[in-house]
Amino acid sequence: MSTDQLTGPDAEPTAPSPARPAGGRPGSRRAPRPHSLRARRAGAFYLFTGPWVLGFLGLTAYPLGYALWLSFTNSDGLSPNARFVGLANYREVFSDPDTLASLARTGLFAAITVPLTIVAGLILALLLNQPIRARGLFRTLLYLPAVVPPVGAALTFKLIFDRDSGSANGLLDLFGVNGLAWLGDPYARYVLIMLTVWGVGNIMIISLAGLQDIPRELLDAARVDGASQWQSLTRIILPLLSPVLFFQLVTQLIMTLQTFVPLLISLDPTPKGVGAVPESNYLIMIDVFSQYFANGRYGYASALLWVLFLFIMLVTFVVFRLSKGAVFYSVDPEQAKPKTRTIGDK
Amino acid sequence: MPVSSRGSLDRRRFLAASAGAAFTAAALPGCAASVDSDSDSGGSGKTLTVMTLVNEWDAKTQKSIEKLLDVKLRIVTYDVTKLNAMLASKNPPDVVRGIGATDAPYFAARGLMADLDPYLAKSKVLKPSDLAAANDVWRFDGKKQGAGPRYGLAKDYSQDSMFWYRTDMFEAAGLDLPSATEPLSMDEWLDLGKRLTKRRLGKVKVYGLNATSLGLFSQLMSWTASAGGTLFADDMASVDFSSPEALKALQWYVDYAKADIGPSITNPNPDGWDGPTYQANRMAMSCNGFWFGGVIGGDAKLAAVSRFAPAPQFGSHRVSPCFSGTGFWMPKEAKNKDAAWKLFEWYFADQPAKDRASSGWGLPSLNSLRSLIPRSSAFQKQAYQVQEQDTPYFSVLPVSPYAQVDALNGILSKVLPDAIKSDTKTGKIADALNSRMNEQLARGKELVG
Repeated sequence: MSTDQLTGPDAEPTAPSPARPAGGRPGSRRAPRPHSLRARRAGAFYLFTGPWVLGFLGLTAYPLGYALWLSFTNSDGLSPNARFVGLANYREVFSDPDTLASLARTGLFAAITVPLTIVAGLILALLLNQPIRARGLFRTLLYLPAVVPPVGAALTFKLIFDRDSGSANGLLDLFGVNGLAWLGDPYARYVLIMLTVWGVGNIMIISLAGLQDIPRELLDAARVDGASQWQSLTRIILPLLSPVLFFQLVTQLIMTLQTFVPLLISLDPTPKGVGAVPESNYLIMIDVFSQYFANGRYGYASALLWVLFLFIMLVTFVVFRLSKGAVFYSVDPEQAKPKTRTIGDK
Repeated sequence: MPVSSRGSLDRRRFLAASAGAAFTAAALPGCAASVDSDSDSGGSGKTLTVMTLVNEWDAKTQKSIEKLLDVKLRIVTYDVTKLNAMLASKNPPDVVRGIGATDAPYFAARGLMADLDPYLAKSKVLKPSDLAAANDVWRFDGKKQGAGPRYGLAKDYSQDSMFWYRTDMFEAAGLDLPSATEPLSMDEWLDLGKRLTKRRLGKVKVYGLNATSLGLFSQLMSWTASAGGTLFADDMASVDFSSPEALKALQWYVDYAKADIGPSITNPNPDGWDGPTYQANRMAMSCNGFWFGGVIGGDAKLAAVSRFAPAPQFGSHRVSPCFSGTGFWMPKEAKNKDAAWKLFEWYFADQPAKDRASSGWGLPSLNSLRSLIPRSSAFQKQAYQVQEQDTPYFSVLPVSPYAQVDALNGILSKVLPDAIKSDTKTGKIADALNSRMNEQLARGKELVG
């Protein structure tokens, strides 16, 4: 049995294999390589990652590159007379008051909904981690909204909050209170926030999984030592849950900055429907969609997308930097390295 | 020692090979298009790709189309984003559903539509002389809509400034019914809308009037035309909302929206169209053309209390345009044009056309099928008579090829809500609209040339 067969795929053998002499000169004939376990593993690795890499190149890298090229043109996607305009689209992104307003609106929306959904999900998870009766039923009920398709959820909200025939104003009517134009400015933003928080079940279920991973004995020991529930929460649960919360923060932030839900509430996810999105919900992705397919400004919309892409990268980088010291990993991710497997490993 | 060696698939080679494969795959559709475009374009079992509504034809009808045309039918659900991508990659469907009044100039000016005149010249069933005037919305002469080659045909049409009303609601409000022959003035129409509206605690329980069912920009064009003006300049490269006629139309709409008597840009209809609201006894007047009679006719009780009326007018220049003219067109790069034309002949002149004409869901696009318009019930007779009287006032209101109407409607949606709420002077609104729309049109003109 050769050394190759006994070590892991990334391991460095301590001595050259007898079948492959060290220090071979260029052009010298190599001995045929045995069909090693390592080669088979490498083959399996490429076989399994291949489809993803192909998908990444074809469906992500190529469109990104194409959009980058488009962003330097005035193309409408259809006309043959498009020309190179240099950085004009990018200059317009940073000088167009509508775009800047939609970017600011998107930032504000993320600043409100991301913490709100994470905290709401955590509170629900903490509640449902208690030994209460019908816990399974409550978990199911609270998770259900998360599996409702966004279009269905948006339709429901639209029907509930319609000014003239919705049940929200019907309820106000019972108390003799004037109805509100929920789906118009300025109330539409609150409906959007409610819709976002309504689907908090996804976050809850991940937090719940994180909570259940916290060793029971730690909490028991804290209780024996006289720690209050609040102290257990802030000194044990939250630190141990922090990697899960951090994961949620990053993914929610990225998703929220790209949210397309306002167009679904308008219930006509077409270029025509963009006009029905009230200004308070006119987020950056709505602007991008509108620029592409209503205004036919493929070049400018591509520039907008690239700016958004870079903005998300920057925000994610900043969040990662700020999280240092606030997220507690049981294994230091920077120190952790795959361990070389040897015969003695169990 | 790393796994890689010259003889094996290392990471760099793997990534390079993957990139090659991915880019090849991305480029393949273009190659396929160029190969197929040289091949036989008849039926012969070839695939005919039609982009249309998912429920355009049931499975049985699709089978019969395949048998009749000797093709394999491939339905692609209509999606404007997908259509743009297919057109841009020069791999479009063979037949596309579209709205003639708004799509034709935009796509034709960009050289994306096939000229149907040669097909019409050879056809034994579709004759240009038999085409209803509404089919002219599919014509574009290189500068203006309404003349020149035909780029599509309407499956049916309506004159979309006409309106339907509820006699029971008029009677309950003690109001005289609108004339079946003489159009209301716009001021009379607005006044009736106000009187028919019912409110409770900040909510509108019954809308008096919906004045803009098929898009605001088209309706503003129509009202401006009825006042004797036009929104677009002669070269179609700019709009002018500051003309007295356009200002009149704009002011009317601002008054309508402020009055809050129906769905508007500040309070859109949650259903997206008037059907459910009208059927639920929550709308007294609905600005929709003849096709809306199909909705009403399905409910005998509703039909008994519904009437059709001529398009209201601003002045003596009576107009009654079509804002839609939905039908089919053939992309210039379509691979199977002959089979596509066979579908046109079947769809626009054969049994489907007759079925549509007799259904009451729109007016037939062939003059020869006009006799099939239903007129057996009192409701149908009244609608038919009113329609016949408004027909001579049909005219194509050309839209600019330099911007999609959706873009112009989008600008109206951005400018008007705040302006209406803040009591901005109409002149200032007009200036804002001119500035934004003309910027959009200038960009389009630069691209189209």
